[in-house]
Amino acid sequence: MKTISEARGTLVTTLADDWGSDIATLKGVPWGKVMMWVFLVSDTFIFTCFLVGYMSVRMSTIEPWPNPSEVFALHAFGVSVPLLLIAIMTFILISSSGTMAMAVNMGYQRRKKAATNLILVTALLGAMFVGMQAFEWSKLILDEGVRPWTNPFGAPQFGAVFFMVTGFHGLHVSAGVIYLLTIAFRIRRGKYDESDFEIVEISGLYWHFVDLVWVFIFALFYLW
Amino acid sequence: MTKETGQRHPIRIYLVVWGLLFLVSALSYSTDFLDRGFWRWTLILLFMVLKAGFIVAVFMHMRWERLALMSVVLVPPVLLMVLVGLMTIESDYTRSMRIEHFETAIPGEAMPVVEREIRNRRPD
Amino acid sequence: MTEIEVPYQETIGVRHPRSWITRYWFSQDHKVIAVQYGVTAIAVGLVALVLSGLMRIQIGFPGLLPFITPDVYYQAVTMHGMIMVIFLLTAFLLGAFGNFCVPLMLGARDMVFPFVNMLSYHVYLLSVVVLMASYFVPGGPTGAGWTLYPPQAILPGTPGVDWGIVTMLLSLIIFVVAFTMGGLNYITTILQARTRGMTLMRMPLTVWGIMMATVLGLLAFPALFVSGVMMLLDKLVGTSFFMPAIVSFGQPLEHSGGSPLLFQHLFWFFGHPEVYIVALPAFGVVSELISVHSRKNIFGYRMMVWALVAIGALSFVVWAHHMYVAGMHPYFGFFFATTTLIIAVPTAIKVYNWVLTLWKANIKLTVPMLFALAFILTFVVGGLSGLFLGNVIIDVPLSDTYFVVAHFHMVMGVAPILVIFGGIYHWYPKLTGRMLNNTLGQLHFWVTFLGTYAIYYPMHYLGFIGVPRRYYANGMESDFYPESAATLNEFITIAALVVGLMQFVFVYNLIASYFRGKAAGSNPWEATTLEWQTPNTPPSHGNWGDTLPTVHRWAYDYSVPDEDQDFIPQNVEHT
Repeated sequence: MKTISEARGTLVTTLADDWGSDIATLKGVPWGKVMMWVFLVSDTFIFTCFLVGYMSVRMSTIEPWPNPSEVFALHAFGVSVPLLLIAIMTFILISSSGTMAMAVNMGYQRRKKAATNLILVTALLGAMFVGMQAFEWSKLILDEGVRPWTNPFGAPQFGAVFFMVTGFHGLHVSAGVIYLLTIAFRIRRGKYDESDFEIVEISGLYWHFVDLVWVFIFALFYLW
Repeated sequence: MTKETGQRHPIRIYLVVWGLLFLVSALSYSTDFLDRGFWRWTLILLFMVLKAGFIVAVFMHMRWERLALMSVVLVPPVLLMVLVGLMTIESDYTRSMRIEHFETAIPGEAMPVVEREIRNRRPD
Repeated sequence: MTEIEVPYQETIGVRHPRSWITRYWFSQDHKVIAVQYGVTAIAVGLVALVLSGLMRIQIGFPGLLPFITPDVYYQAVTMHGMIMVIFLLTAFLLGAFGNFCVPLMLGARDMVFPFVNMLSYHVYLLSVVVLMASYFVPGGPTGAGWTLYPPQAILPGTPGVDWGIVTMLLSLIIFVVAFTMGGLNYITTILQARTRGMTLMRMPLTVWGIMMATVLGLLAFPALFVSGVMMLLDKLVGTSFFMPAIVSFGQPLEHSGGSPLLFQHLFWFFGHPEVYIVALPAFGVVSELISVHSRKNIFGYRMMVWALVAIGALSFVVWAHHMYVAGMHPYFGFFFATTTLIIAVPTAIKVYNWVLTLWKANIKLTVPMLFALAFILTFVVGGLSGLFLGNVIIDVPLSDTYFVVAHFHMVMGVAPILVIFGGIYHWYPKLTGRMLNNTLGQLHFWVTFLGTYAIYYPMHYLGFIGVPRRYYANGMESDFYPESAATLNEFITIAALVVGLMQFVFVYNLIASYFRGKAAGSNPWEATTLEWQTPNTPPSHGNWGDTLPTVHRWAYDYSVPDEDQDFIPQNVEHT
């Protein structure tokens, strides 16, 4: 049975050592982090299946697919700026990822107040994202007449895919906001004082995943 | 459960990657001004993969994780590629079947050759 | 500085529950949760058993029970299938066996997150309740078949089109949530919470089977989730993911542009790994049973592990062998038939290894062993018929006939159920401290084994002559249905009813032996794996007392030459 120091070798020997060792395969990785990563892999499959459904429907339909640049354009200063709102939303989500990464760093430095505040900022940015998505939805539903079963721009599945995919993503972001708020308050209450504050990293993983999914949605749905 | 030294990397790297993400996002956004075709789609995918890579490798710390954890996370999505690939072919096939059998022409395109020939051979 | 790794579970204390509610209803003890899963799964399985009896009565003696209308029949077909596959087999093999065996076999105190484990059971229970609610909603349960193919699943003409399909899809979605919670726990526990000396290659094959099945589930259930959501949207909101332009009862519908094949691809991307989610734990448990009850190490342990991994990985690229006649891309058959035949190879290797384990072994024909042997026989038969179906051309006349029904019942319905029974007879003494009654066990075994052969063996013949599956009217109304088929169906029905009744004897045995069974001691089968080495039987909360066991050897030191006993437990040191 090797000690951990002995087990650390070259990259490939570490792989074989890890998988061949007793007690834990992923040395030094807290249980919560393993669980979060495995959950994120599973969630990746969910979003990929949604996007495969989107791809399938879009590729097989005879009717022309609406142009997202036009559908999601905003009128600003008298000019129609394509995908303006989406660009702002992307900016906000990336910003929130950045604040989250810094929160994780603060957490490991045991700077509770800084970590809590950064988490709260992240949650706030996330809430803003959801708010904008809700605005987007209401604009499409009320102003443009887009419905899950039909829309004036082209193939009827456009609305269905849009609401389904952004809906699930929005649900994940909302759940993430609640999760982050919970973590922030628990840190402040001192619940994690005995630990290394790995909980911040674990919740950070979830938040970055939400951003990651948005990267794919942005590219494949809005830009394609 | 033993603890590895946590994410004790200098903050700099996160700020750099953060900046890069903004940059690549701006580049992604600008592909919108290209016409639909090879270059647009290639660049969309390229920037998407770049951003995803930055987020997973740096923000989600994967670059510094043990290979064992990396393999647990990065190997299963390979199976998804099979699904995506096959569904691409299948959707294309569905579309071609619709064109062929429902006498449907794509607006702006000529009728498929097969359709024309069937029509020519019919006695009506 | 060198650090010797200490299992984390040894450093944390165990908080014992106090009240009845926290000890039994909201228990966070994996053993109690295992029983909860088991009891719920058996209960709902008995419902499905009764439904199968109704189906068989209609097939064998049409018109005998006038309340079995076509609607009732198709609802029974659907509910029987869905309950058996998901709510019994998956839930029992993973929820019950997984929860009970994994922490004990790994030398752990419990799963890594007992609270989440408890939640997973209650969410599973909720999914069962929602499914059973189908019987109480207007229109009753859906009659779309367990495969729920659109467009018919959500169009009038199918029973349960208003509410039943909605409750069905909702219950599946809730089940996926429960499974995900449980699955995350299992993976994390197996990867991170083993005891000292327990490497992955010293784990019993039961744990390997459960681990691979959990991985498959975490990766495959998302596809079911997504297809369920999309079908719900098609039904409730009017989207057209799966609904093409269609005319229903003379009226053109609003839908257009969707593809029913998309559903089939997504469903079977889940559906094929699902059958391996059922099969792999069964493979693992069978390896255990054969090894223990023949006093011989499992032949080729390493290959058994790799075979499990290979089967698991390959199971994701064979799905469209369920769709050869569906109208998909014509060249897909080449690809999927090839992968399907390839996946037969590691499966066959496992069968060879089981047989080679038995070769010249000291076989004890205990009830668990009988079930294990029966598994091998029935699984091989079912697997052979799978070879026919896996080839595209042969599948064309056999698809949607009773040949398919015979095949999947043999490999999923008979073989894994026999393993479940065998596993229960095997581990009941550890769970309760008592043995199940041997006479009743033998009776249960022989009637079940021979009876299920009597049911499914003739069914292959029915399939060959072209009798279609999922038909309500099997008999005088159809021209192509010969007299012999009707007679055969009567025979099968009678066999089915006898086998069905025998399962209630088994349930009686389970309950009665708890109170009156022979005292078992801590290791009645003289097995080597860790669960039999607990200080108490039944194991107390925390399983191991103050110190976790230390493992020094693999799980199969049986009949080691020059040793006094014919088994050496895993936690015995080398001298």
